[in-house]
Amino acid sequence: MIADKSCTEIRRRLAHSPEKVFAAFAKAELVARWLTPSPEITLTVIEFDFREGGSYRFAYHVPRAATVIVAGWYSVIRPPSKIVFSWVIEPPDEHAGIESEVTVAITSDGTGSELVIRHEKLVRTDAIERHSAGWRGAVDHLTELLAQEGRYDG
Amino acid sequence: MHLSPNLDLTFHALADGTRRSMIHELANGRTRSAGELGRQFRSAQPTISKHLKVLEDAGIVERNVEGRVHQFRLRRTALEQAGRWIARHQAFWEGAVDQLDRLLRGGRER
Repeated sequence: MIADKSCTEIRRRLAHSPEKVFAAFAKAELVARWLTPSPEITLTVIEFDFREGGSYRFAYHVPRAATVIVAGWYSVIRPPSKIVFSWVIEPPDEHAGIESEVTVAITSDGTGSELVIRHEKLVRTDAIERHSAGWRGAVDHLTELLAQEGRYDG
Repeated sequence: MHLSPNLDLTFHALADGTRRSMIHELANGRTRSAGELGRQFRSAQPTISKHLKVLEDAGIVERNVEGRVHQFRLRRTALEQAGRWIARHQAFWEGAVDQLDRLLRGGRER
């Protein structure tokens, strides 16, 4: 359920088999070649223990900015269809310490596969009152408000 | 370990329809008193005060006390931080999946 969580989801059809897509998440040398938001931001894999209970630690080198360290551990690994891992940004980043969770689902789709990456628990809900449909609304609302860039003072 | 309590407060504040409407009412730099907001939302003053307190604690609004009148206006910092957090991950995964697609296709990466 996404009603009480803040999350983001990416869905993409890829022209390769689930096995090939899965391998891109499973091998450190492959991960280092794609798991960054843009080619300018490079990734050094500091630690990579790809098994259930194993942990990883990535260093993101951002041009003209501080290196961002992301770490977590794998809770579910089910080749070639599912991977679940935690995702925590380390200090001194402004968003450090939030224990978010990423679920990767890969399904066979004719000649290729469909990849769904869902990043959730972006906001801790245990400390917050539950509010049906509130989160979705909150995120939509926020997006809308920020789109009014410059239309209110601060 | 949890170092961003403010972000939780921001989303908590935004997870309520009345509070979101109040934020809209304060958009565009408008200033409103607690009384004006109470009349507008046809709610009892204690209810309005409670909502304003939640927004204030989250750093979304700031309060100016002029005599007995409490005036409220929007601060954008808290909203921006929360927006960046969500947008940051959306952009991260979109960019990463683009790169994955290129890698799998054997195209040129970086």
